[in-house]
Amino acid sequence: MGQIDTEVLVIGGGVLGTAVARELSRYKVDTTLVEKEADFGWGSTKANMCLVCQGADTLEFRREYRRSKLVWESMPLMEPLCQELDVPFKRVGELAVFFDNGGRAKFQKMKSRAESMGMTTHQFVDRETLRQMEPNIARDAIGALYDPNIAITDPVRLTMALAENAKRNGVKLLTRTKVVDISSGTEEFEVQTSQGAIRSRFIVNAAGLFVDKVAAMVNADEFVVFPIKGYVVILDKKVGDLVSHEIHARPEAPGENNIVTPSVYGNLFIGTPMKLARRNDQSTTRQMADTTLRNVRRLVPDISERDIISSFAGFLMFRNWELGWHECVVSASGNVPRFISVSIGYPGVSAAPATAKEVVKLLSQEGLKLEENLKFNPYSKAITHFSDLSEEEKRALIAKDERYRYAVCRCETVTEGEVVEAISRGATTLDGVKFRTRAGMGRCQGGFCGPRIISILARELGIPEEQVTKKGGRSQLLLYKSKQLLEGVTCP
Amino acid sequence: MSLKNVDVAVIGSGPAGMAAAIKAKETGAENVVIMERAEQLGGLLHQCIHNGFGLLYFKEDLTGPEYAHRFIEKLMDSGVKPLLETMAIGISPDREIIAVSSREGYITFRPKSIVLAMGCRERTRGALNIPGTRPAGIFTAGTAQRLVNIDGFIPGKKVVILGSGDIGMIMARRLTLEGAKVEGVVEILPYVGGLIRNQVQCLHDFNIPLLLECTVTQIHGEERVEAVTIAMVDTKRKLIAGTEKQIECDTLLLSVGLIPENELSQMAGVKLDPITGGPIVNEIRQTSVPGIFAGGNVVHVHDLVDNVSWESEIAGQSAAELIHGRRKSWERGITLKPGRNIKYIVPHTISGKREVTLYMRVNEPEEDVRLKVGTIVTKALRAVKPAEMLKLELSSAQLSKLGEGTTEIVIDCEKRGGR
Repeated sequence: MGQIDTEVLVIGGGVLGTAVARELSRYKVDTTLVEKEADFGWGSTKANMCLVCQGADTLEFRREYRRSKLVWESMPLMEPLCQELDVPFKRVGELAVFFDNGGRAKFQKMKSRAESMGMTTHQFVDRETLRQMEPNIARDAIGALYDPNIAITDPVRLTMALAENAKRNGVKLLTRTKVVDISSGTEEFEVQTSQGAIRSRFIVNAAGLFVDKVAAMVNADEFVVFPIKGYVVILDKKVGDLVSHEIHARPEAPGENNIVTPSVYGNLFIGTPMKLARRNDQSTTRQMADTTLRNVRRLVPDISERDIISSFAGFLMFRNWELGWHECVVSASGNVPRFISVSIGYPGVSAAPATAKEVVKLLSQEGLKLEENLKFNPYSKAITHFSDLSEEEKRALIAKDERYRYAVCRCETVTEGEVVEAISRGATTLDGVKFRTRAGMGRCQGGFCGPRIISILARELGIPEEQVTKKGGRSQLLLYKSKQLLEGVTCP
Repeated sequence: MSLKNVDVAVIGSGPAGMAAAIKAKETGAENVVIMERAEQLGGLLHQCIHNGFGLLYFKEDLTGPEYAHRFIEKLMDSGVKPLLETMAIGISPDREIIAVSSREGYITFRPKSIVLAMGCRERTRGALNIPGTRPAGIFTAGTAQRLVNIDGFIPGKKVVILGSGDIGMIMARRLTLEGAKVEGVVEILPYVGGLIRNQVQCLHDFNIPLLLECTVTQIHGEERVEAVTIAMVDTKRKLIAGTEKQIECDTLLLSVGLIPENELSQMAGVKLDPITGGPIVNEIRQTSVPGIFAGGNVVHVHDLVDNVSWESEIAGQSAAELIHGRRKSWERGITLKPGRNIKYIVPHTISGKREVTLYMRVNEPEEDVRLKVGTIVTKALRAVKPAEMLKLELSSAQLSKLGEGTTEIVIDCEKRGGR
């Protein structure tokens, strides 16, 4: 890449960065977004329970918190956004379960506070109603606080759709581009990346877990990021009907939250013991798994280790002790003009729509001219998912394009046509195909489809199979061709 | 091609499906189709290029592809119609099959009977919940086998194998022959998970370390696997603190068990046995849904392909006989219950009227035992192992000793010489 000149540089292609880029594409602004990973939404965005406006947040709303305000303002925006971008969104509702009157009293307090904020959707349900709503709930649960507003989505697909839509509306997207240094001039910033230099008048720092590191490059405001690691387990679709709402209870020990929630694809998510961790440490431990299982069995006893198909760690973070757990950063730097840092941490996905609008407002206050882009098209169509189609649609699609006749992934019924479409729309890695099509997300975890998708990626991208990676960087999947080791070939 | 008048549809063309289809045709079913999602018949046999197939069935030592080829030829001669590149994506309880085919597109048809022969899949890292990072370089042994033997790629140079299932041990040898260094096969149990012959021929003969009572406790590496931590376990399979050891490697293969693939069966409403993971079947291999039969690894994971072929022949024969009205759809009979040191028994029920072969596995290895079927005491066995299936033939004469009206028999693996 040669030298790039741009008006606004967005650093970070997570849900916030892409939402900001897309919001900017409503205006005639020359915008560039850089992402260090091979794809969008692969940082904190991908590693969470896919909830929209977590109940705990709405219950923890405080008028004075900027974060509460952004989540609150995002609530009516999220569903229309998902509709525009053809991203799954489902209002499942939330049940905050309690086992004794003490638990009830604590939720009562939260309910009153929510009501004082003008949120009147919460209501208590008794033991019998709870059992009707969730027949598999623990026998000793005596009731729950119900909030019908809570929804689920697919944050990675949302982020990829935001990126794609931003691109369609004129934003330049650069993946595998890591910011290594920034120097600020009087008129513009000079940003050194792993791919070359970028000159930009404005910077939006949406670097997620690394928001403090990027801010430190220009001596913008001081952040101390405290990464809190959470743990999530994915359960097989065959037990997906164990619950139909997001269910949680108050933690019995600090950090030992217990949550079980359906996913938009019919799996269940359970999680999540949380503790402070190093931010590069995405690893999981046996203890996390044991604690998670023990805690969620307290809510839904039928959940079994046998049904686990995958697990992962994710980060939520808070900025510094003074700001506290409940606060976020969405502000222009006090000492560096035209530099805006954006970091919600938890719940970044839920707050993204309003945060993007807020950032555009801040940019305009910093001097960015906003002239409406009359060609802005808010709509995107999702990749065709064969298994979601009706019988007639399936027949028609197969008749039109024979690549939809080849089933590549057995567990999720993904066809070659979908994999090819995913690649043509930006997937360059096995995980890129997985997040776009779900191939490899099922119970066999890519055992069957993996080799097939590697060969399709190699064919479509015009590279040898040995260069196909799992997730970019040095994550090559197949290191050698047959006999190469015997001939003494060493890995590049 | 018209699929209007299919008598028997077999789903899957591995050793189970081919044996069932041929047998159904031989038994008199006119219109038999076999559905295969890959481009050729034979299923996973094609990637099993090692020998040891057919020692019982053909009394010959064949490779997987050779074993497949014998059946493919017989199947083509018999007039069974293969539907290649055709994946069944649904079966309804009234036996309507929905499939996607490279030739025919989207197809639906309702055969008179169905034989399920989808085989099994491998347990994954997620199912084991191994802690650590999520880098590239973790494969199930069977996926690695396909990559090496079909696609022509070697996943890596320094390999650790978790689990000593047969495919894992066979891949340890295969990768060694390809010039990779297999650092060790790590097994949590005090004995190998696969057959003794594979322990000898694949590990011992190639000086590959077998680390019993050990497991992988952590995976390291952000982008590609860089190392794994292993540790020893006690008799309760709990980790022994202080025994952790890091092994550098670029690849981790998993050979930690197989699971019958029954998603289609469940769509059809077929009841499964939680122990085997496969359908509950009677002695003619009929499932709980009338007209749907099952055979091979979809019912329970077998030790030898020969047994897969034999069992599936029963399913194929029954599927054909049902059409001719020679069999009732479901015969009530005697339920077989696993007793002392018996993990499971297939079939789950027997009629008690005909001679029958039972397949069983034990929970724990044991020496000097005998099998007791209710009041019938059968042969003495020198040793039993979980990796090896027990095969027990009950004659009509033996069965006639069971009292009239018996509805349940417990089968025990009894210690000899003691009470």
